[in-house]
Parts: sequence; structure tokens; C-alpha cells
Amino acid sequence: MKKLIALMLALMLVLGLAACAGDAANQDNTTNDTADTTGDQQNTDNTASTMSGAITVISREEGSGTRGAFTELMGVLVDDVDNTTVDAEIANSTSLVQSTVAGNKNAIGYISLGSYDASAVKAVKVDGVEASVEDIKAGSYAVSRPFVICYKEENLSDLGADFVKFIMSAEGQAILTEEGYIAADDAAESYTGSGMSGSLSVNGSTSVGPVMEVLAESYKALNPDVTIDVQQTGSGTGITSAIDGSCEIGMSSRELKDEEVAEGLTPVTIALDGIAVIVNLENPVSDLSAETIQKIYTGEITDWSQVG
Amino acid sequence: MARFKETAMQYVFLAAACVSIAAVALICVYLLGNGVPTIFEIGLPNFFGLTWKPSQDFYGIFPFIIGSIYVTAGAILVGVPIGLLCAIFLARFCPAPLYRVLNPAVRLMAGIPSIVYGFFGLMVIVPVVQQLFGTSGKGLLTASVLLGIMILPTIIGTAEPALRAVPQSYYEGALALGATHERSTFTVILPAAASGVMSGVILGVGRAIGETMAVIMIAGNQPRMPGGLLDGLRTMTSNIVLEMGYSTGLHRQALIATGVVLFVFILIINTCFSLMKRRKDA
Repeated sequence: MKKLIALMLALMLVLGLAACAGDAANQDNTTNDTADTTGDQQNTDNTASTMSGAITVISREEGSGTRGAFTELMGVLVDDVDNTTVDAEIANSTSLVQSTVAGNKNAIGYISLGSYDASAVKAVKVDGVEASVEDIKAGSYAVSRPFVICYKEENLSDLGADFVKFIMSAEGQAILTEEGYIAADDAAESYTGSGMSGSLSVNGSTSVGPVMEVLAESYKALNPDVTIDVQQTGSGTGITSAIDGSCEIGMSSRELKDEEVAEGLTPVTIALDGIAVIVNLENPVSDLSAETIQKIYTGEITDWSQVG
Repeated sequence: MARFKETAMQYVFLAAACVSIAAVALICVYLLGNGVPTIFEIGLPNFFGLTWKPSQDFYGIFPFIIGSIYVTAGAILVGVPIGLLCAIFLARFCPAPLYRVLNPAVRLMAGIPSIVYGFFGLMVIVPVVQQLFGTSGKGLLTASVLLGIMILPTIIGTAEPALRAVPQSYYEGALALGATHERSTFTVILPAAASGVMSGVILGVGRAIGETMAVIMIAGNQPRMPGGLLDGLRTMTSNIVLEMGYSTGLHRQALIATGVVLFVFILIINTCFSLMKRRKDA
């Protein structure tokens, strides 16, 4: 008798689990279906935004480079005060932002364009401009930032000049493209090893740093006698070090300020990094103005029905 | 020669013991040495204030303390009844063939990495809460349910042996007085094992309050006071992990100070645990 009860219990457990799995599968189907129908609706009656519901704002953690660039470009950051709403959910990585937005039809988030996965989420147009490589290159997409290296002409050694030449060559630009950034120069000349030797110090932005490491590795493969020391200390420190000569080349993930150029720095934009504003695939909204995004992130707009 | 070996090995064992004690001591010294001056540098009213905006020098961690307490309380509400009943079932009701399946399954639960639990929460519990309540799905409720599941193996693992350790004569005595199997279990065995069961609950609390990776993925992490069951919140652990990567200067110090507060909480929990054990031994 007891055995029978136990058996039934176990059976129920298994069935219950199976039912749950079944539900999940069904849910997936229905989400796809609704996505299709909203697409159809849009085609037929052209109602741009029929979305409603409280907006789930997803932001990155305080101190993140992406958050810094996004808040600055969108006007959420005013006079060094970050006005991001405290109701914003905080995700601590690009992938978590993406998977959260993918799982919540009311969510909005932002990620580096290099990590954008069009099958999971939808990047909205900002002020009618698509977050594409072409528009970022043309400068018409508002939410992008340059990756800049800077140096003082008189401090730059032959090795330093050659490394800059390598970064701006077809090979260097190909590496940047491969890493998900937008090459600054499409028609660059190709680079051949120069047989340089010596050591070079590069210092600055933690956003540019990782790709700079890759560039340095490739450069060392071509010129084996060279050592390159890449330090990731932040854009501000990198620029200051380039000015005072404690490093040869500084890295920055923002445009150089006028007073920094006045100190005698030569800025070179090596690539562009776009920040895509993403929403759920089910969300019919496909175009947001920079002002609306700013209002969403400062908590002035809290419902999708207020958008559009 | 044999004697020399004997003494030498004794010192090896002593060294091994010292290493683990030294680790704990170093952590204490490091945390307190770095954290306590920071707390005073920030100032107590600011540090235990309500606003966390490191870029503007607001370092109030009070919402995170409350967040940690809420999440832990929620986890106990979900996890303790289930864990306790499961332990009783395993100890007193479970037929042997089923036990051979259930016991390893519970042990396996303890071995699953927390990030996997977090992913499970994000993919399964979050959408369910979303559908049921129409919110973003991340928040206190979700975190409580997931943590409740995560502390099950801790509770079961401690409570079940405690229930088994109750002398068989108690049970037989209850039966002899005419109590049914169920009644003997719940009114005689369970009270006799109370301190062991409580130890399990306290260990579960420790696990819940210290859990980080899973909570980050499903709690929402808003740096403000949690307002309700469906509201997002941030715990002390997630605050540290979230912002450690990019923080510098006082911001980083403030995170270490958050660790001090967390450490104090864990100390309190462990003291409770030792007291409970001592009472059992006495």
C-alpha cells in the first residue's frame, strides 16, 4: 500500500515537471505568435505605438564605462550628477542586460553595439536613425563614442609611431572590426613588420584596454623584439599620463576636451563603439527620440503608453 | 627515528590547522582594518543612510541591509517548511527504494553552482512572476522563492541526521502509549531533535544571507528601500559584487565597509549556531 502511494507520488512529480516544461514550450510559441501578429498589425494599419504597461528600465551599475558614456550622451548626466532613476533595475554585465530585456516585454536597456544579438532583442532607432555601422560612421547615430589614442608628437618614439601606424593599418583596423567595433578607416594601407625593438607604454581607458591588448599581441607577433605594456587605468588618467609624459600613448573612450588638445596632444580616433538601445522583440516601439530615452531613464516617463 | 617522525607529523598537522586559522584571522584584520576607518570617514549617518549614490558621495547602505534581511526572511518562509517536512519524510516515512533516489537528489542540489540556480531563476521563476503579477518579475518574491529552494539541501542535510539521532526508544515509548506513527514523529521525535533542526535553519539563514550570484540575476538590484513583495531590491552581497569592478577610492572602500557589515551579520548567525550546539551538548 505504502509503495503504491510512493509510486503515485513520484509519478505525479514527474508529470508535474513535464507539465511545467510543456507550459514553457507553449509560452515560447505564443510569444512568437504575438510577435508575428503585432508585426502584421503594423503592416496593415500603421499604428506605430500601441504599447502600454509600466516600463522596466534596465541600467548598468554605477561606475561602468557603458553607463558613463550612455548617461553623458543621452543627457541623463547633468553637471556630473547621474540622474538615472532609482527604480531602474541594475544589471552588472552586457549579457545580463540583453537576457533580461529578451525575457521582459516591458523592458528597455542599453548595450555595446558589438554585443547586440538581433535574434534576442530589438535595437530601436534613436531620432529615426538606425544603430548601424554606416550611420555611426556617418556620425548621424547619436549614441556612439569614439575610441581615441593620444600622444605628444615630441614624446613619440619611432616605435610608438610605428605602433600607431599598425593600429591604423588594414591589419589593425581588421582586428578592431573583429572585436565588434567600427573601424575608423576602411581604406587603410596594409602593414609590414618593421623590425623595431624596444618597449612602449600605453595607458588609459578600461573600455579601450582589452582591444588594445589584442592589438599589442598582434603587433608583437610581427615585431618579436618589442614589449608593449598596456595599463588600464581609465580615460582621465591615460590622458593625463600622456600629457605629463609618464606614458607614451594614452587611451580614451571619449573625445578629447579642447584644453587637453591645447596641452599639445594629438588625438587619433582608432575606432567607434556604438551603444544600442534595446527593447523586447514583442515591443512594437521601434523609434525613440533621444529626449524620450532621457525621460525614461530619469524616471519622467514610466509607462509605454506615454511614449510616442 | 619513529619518534622523530611522530613529532614531525604533529607539527605538520599543527601547521595545517594554523593555515586555516590564519586565513580567518587575516580576513578579519583586512576587513576591519580597511572597513571600520572607512565607515567613520564616510560618517555613520551617511553610511547607514538611505541614499546610495557613490558618484555624489552618498554611501547609504541601509536599504541593502534591509534588502538582505527581507530576502533571507523570505527564503526562510519558503525553505524551512519544505525542508523540514522533507527531512521528516526522509528520516521517518520514506520507503528504502525511494530513499535511495531522494537522498542523492538532495545531495546533488547542494552541489549545483549558485550561478546555475540564478539562471534557472531568470529563465523559469522570473517569467512566471511576470505572467502572474504583470511586473518585471525581478524582486523580493522571486529572490525569496529561489533562495528558499537553494537553502533546502542545507536544512535537510542537517535536520535529517538530527532526526535520525533521536533514540529509537523515544519512538517506541510513544507507540507503546498508543500514539500513531505520525503523532509519535511530530510530537516526540521532532521536539527531541529541535536543536539539530534549528542548527539546520540557522545554517540555511547563513547561506541565504551570503548568497550572491543567483540573487544578482533575479533581485533587480535597485539601490533603494524595497517597497513591497514584488519590488526589486539589492542585498549587501550583490552591492559589493555589482560595483567592485569599476569602483575606485572611497567608493571601493565603501564596498569593503559593506563587507564588514555583512561579516558582522555572519558572525551573529554563527554565534547563534554555536550557542544552539552547546545547548544540545549540555
